[in-house]
Amino acid sequence: MAILFNKGNKKMKHRTFALPLMLILLIAILSSCTTIAPQAAPSAPGAKGSVTLEFMQWWEPELPAGAFRALMDEFEAQNPGIKVQLISGPYSTTREQVVAGAAAGTMSDVVGLDGAWVNDFVKQGALANLSELMAQTGYDDSALAAQIQLNGSTYMIPVVNFVYPLFVNLDLMDAAGIVNVPTTRSEFAAAAAALTEPLSNRYGWVLPLSLEQPNGIQNDVMSWVWASGGSMMTEDKPDLTNPAVRSAAEYIKGLYDAGVIAPGAFSMREQDKVEEFVNGRVGMMISSMAHINMIRERNPDLKFTIAAVPVEDGYTGKRGLAYASWGIGVAANSPHQAEAWKLIEFLMSEEANSKLSSIANAFPGNINSTPDFVQTDELFGAAFEVFQAASLVNEFVGLPVAEELMRLFAEQFQLYLDGSQTLDDALNKAQEAWMAHF
Amino acid sequence: MSKIFRKSTPLIYLSPTILLLTILSLIPIVMVFIYSFMDNVVMNQNPKFVGMTNYVKIVTNSVFLQAFSNTMYFTVMSVVFHLILGLTFALLLNARALPPFLKAIFRTIYILPWVFTAAVIAILWRLMLNPNGVINYLLITFEIIERPVEWLSSRQLALHAVTFINIWAGYPFYMVSLLAGLQGISEELYEAGTIDGANQRQLFWYITLPQLKPIIISLAMLDFIWTMHQFTLIWMTTGGGPIRATEMLSTLTYKLAFSSYQFSHASATAFLILALSAFVAIFYVRQQKAADE
Amino acid sequence: MNNPKSAMQRSIIYILLSVTLLIGTLYAGFPVLWMVSSSFKSNTQIFAYPPQLIDDSFSLQAYTSVLSNPQKLRFFFNSYLISILVTLCTLIVGILAGYSFSRYNFKFKRLLNMLIISIQAVPPITLLIPYFSLIVTLQLYNTYAALVLTYMVFTLSYAIIMMTGYFNTLPRELDEAVMLDGGSSFVALWRVLVPISLPGIVSVGVYTFMIAWNEFLFALTLTKTNDMRTVPVGIQLLMGQHSYEWNEMMAMSVLGSLPVLILFLFFQRYFIAGMTAGSVKG
Repeated sequence: MAILFNKGNKKMKHRTFALPLMLILLIAILSSCTTIAPQAAPSAPGAKGSVTLEFMQWWEPELPAGAFRALMDEFEAQNPGIKVQLISGPYSTTREQVVAGAAAGTMSDVVGLDGAWVNDFVKQGALANLSELMAQTGYDDSALAAQIQLNGSTYMIPVVNFVYPLFVNLDLMDAAGIVNVPTTRSEFAAAAAALTEPLSNRYGWVLPLSLEQPNGIQNDVMSWVWASGGSMMTEDKPDLTNPAVRSAAEYIKGLYDAGVIAPGAFSMREQDKVEEFVNGRVGMMISSMAHINMIRERNPDLKFTIAAVPVEDGYTGKRGLAYASWGIGVAANSPHQAEAWKLIEFLMSEEANSKLSSIANAFPGNINSTPDFVQTDELFGAAFEVFQAASLVNEFVGLPVAEELMRLFAEQFQLYLDGSQTLDDALNKAQEAWMAHF
Repeated sequence: MSKIFRKSTPLIYLSPTILLLTILSLIPIVMVFIYSFMDNVVMNQNPKFVGMTNYVKIVTNSVFLQAFSNTMYFTVMSVVFHLILGLTFALLLNARALPPFLKAIFRTIYILPWVFTAAVIAILWRLMLNPNGVINYLLITFEIIERPVEWLSSRQLALHAVTFINIWAGYPFYMVSLLAGLQGISEELYEAGTIDGANQRQLFWYITLPQLKPIIISLAMLDFIWTMHQFTLIWMTTGGGPIRATEMLSTLTYKLAFSSYQFSHASATAFLILALSAFVAIFYVRQQKAADE
Repeated sequence: MNNPKSAMQRSIIYILLSVTLLIGTLYAGFPVLWMVSSSFKSNTQIFAYPPQLIDDSFSLQAYTSVLSNPQKLRFFFNSYLISILVTLCTLIVGILAGYSFSRYNFKFKRLLNMLIISIQAVPPITLLIPYFSLIVTLQLYNTYAALVLTYMVFTLSYAIIMMTGYFNTLPRELDEAVMLDGGSSFVALWRVLVPISLPGIVSVGVYTFMIAWNEFLFALTLTKTNDMRTVPVGIQLLMGQHSYEWNEMMAMSVLGSLPVLILFLFFQRYFIAGMTAGSVKG
């Protein structure tokens, strides 16, 4: 054996020092790993008597840059001694963050909530009872448009609401020779068929049924049930086999079989759906009014309008309109609940709520607030009319494991659309799967 | 002093590893292990010990079986193709016929899939595999297919599509490691082989592969374990759908934990995954033992 | 080699090689090319049909909006700092452990080896809640240290296994010679084995860097303020509740990948033949 590598020979004498030296080096490195990091401002205690509220939400990134911070600055100016630290994350992971935070006892004082999460957070003991906070401060809740309650106590207050009306591409309607925006299911089916031209890659309707974000079940499927005054619940139990759900499901299956739904439905998400509409490949979609500005921004030439979701033929009752909220709640283990409530009070005040709903392009959670776009913008005006004429419905709000319920339904519904099972099987199985959670 | 000192030397070398892994890995794992025997932890403030109930519930669930078989397909296919592609590219890039600067360029191109975060890979492939995406467009233009294919939304295709994406995303890891391994094979072995009259194929089978074997085994084992809990890629492309075509143990675990809030069930699933991986680990350790002797 | 047959064989090999390389390039590169192309498009054009590689919506707007945003630049800085620290720490700790496994026999060796492999078999997502509680207890929440240590845990198993493997391929005579000369095992490791194993070390380092660079879930959970967050979190922040900023997402990941690629180009020379081969003649 001949060793070609022997550069280091001369320095190999310090055998006794080597090991201790190595250990020191190691400790130095490991500790440098831990100390290089400046301990990031541990919720700066600030001046004496001042409180810093952590507010975790996904709203700040959704709003124009700096807009939400400006609103918080306003709050801080009105409430000397309270500072707000915004902790912003992506919407899709906010729920995990809250669950983990609550489990580790580091949950933010104030948290942004989706109605679909409330039930489970309350079960986890993560949310403070807002009814008690209101009672302590003698708050008059008559201006609140809604409160999300469980067992008679409020845990979430919707700050702003996004309704889900029907969006219609007017250019495509013209090209297909349809004059009136459909108001009934049969008109909608006829329009969708007329709009569909698979050869030029155009479809009447778009239906996102992704299992990753199964909220298509809430927004794009159950909307049809709610629009005609139907319900998927009895008092407090699921009731998926009732005629209203049946007829909506059957109706959608009819559209699917007629080939008027854009391809790719089974893995499509809300964010994909709207891009199909923006690109003029689908004539109609049910979608959040939060998309109005985005559609305009991305395709300024697109002519579109907003209408109520079509109802069963012959239905004359009040229409239901699906909505989703940016809700707010307080951490059960927050030491600053009184201050946290002040922040909620501020956000729900007539003025701040008007401002927030204006920048978010949403409808206010305070019944006295009016966002300024309602008067100035024709489309939002139209949406506001739809909003006022309808009763807001979202039966998923406050249900246990609401997102899982949507997913369970989506799985059975996909099988039904696919032709792999009958309507009865789909609804019975979904009903059974839901019952397991009640 | 030297005897005791010598005896403790390996442990001194291992001490930082042991310290770090005990605190940051073993403790949480033991916690999860305890969770898996409790009655719904996290959601339940005073969980009770319920024995094997959670495991029984998971294993008897029909979804689990489907997730298991999907995971096996996904994992085995990924590992096999990662190895084939990684080895092929490594050998190509090691070919003497290529000038060094070309090698450098190709190496950089070939590791491209590796430098992106899984979320972006998922988004990118969703865009490309969209019915109106570029892949359908190209396939239609070259008249390979007639109508756009719903790669990710079709029950028949989704699992293959997701596996394909994962193969794309993962082979550079093999390529880089095998490339390094190839440099370690002695020139003389090949020379001796050539003198003995071996052709290229024989050189590959009798010299290159056996020499790379230890690295390949380590890579394949690690890849097997990692691919088993590949989550982001699947979650952000199909969410386990359509229906349950791409449901994996990892997506099932996630749904149990954060969608159904059944943390105990999720923990039990996690330990079933651990048990599966343990088989592979045992195989690996045996291999090491054989190499030691 | 004037033999005409051999020249023809050579050119056939050359053509075959080029064709395979090109197919490989297409396979590896096309999706990335598409990403780059999308980063120059408008959000609407990304969904246009028929798709075009470059269309009239071409603009650098996505890049300028990422680069002019101090918060996003901070994400890049954090990602680099963390990834580099993780790479260095993992390599040092991993080399020491790999050396120990490769060169010594001791009690519990096999058990330890098993443990090191198996602990990474637990899906990280299930560890999230207990791990998060642990980090909070250790007072590391929202620090770089939390992320550095976490990624070390993620990458250490691999580093140890690979380093053990590389050291195993090196003959023990190498370190024995050092020891005969009066050097310690530590000297043998750093002076002889490490320089020889550089290709292996570089590939482990590259891997470690990538894992640290691309991890999302823990990066999000273990930090809370934007000044501690990393590029993958920044990218996910562009995925809104109702719509995505597709082009900015693509631009951000292209920007993030560039320095990594440059780093790789730089370290490539360590893969070049001759570094290790034939150091021991039998």
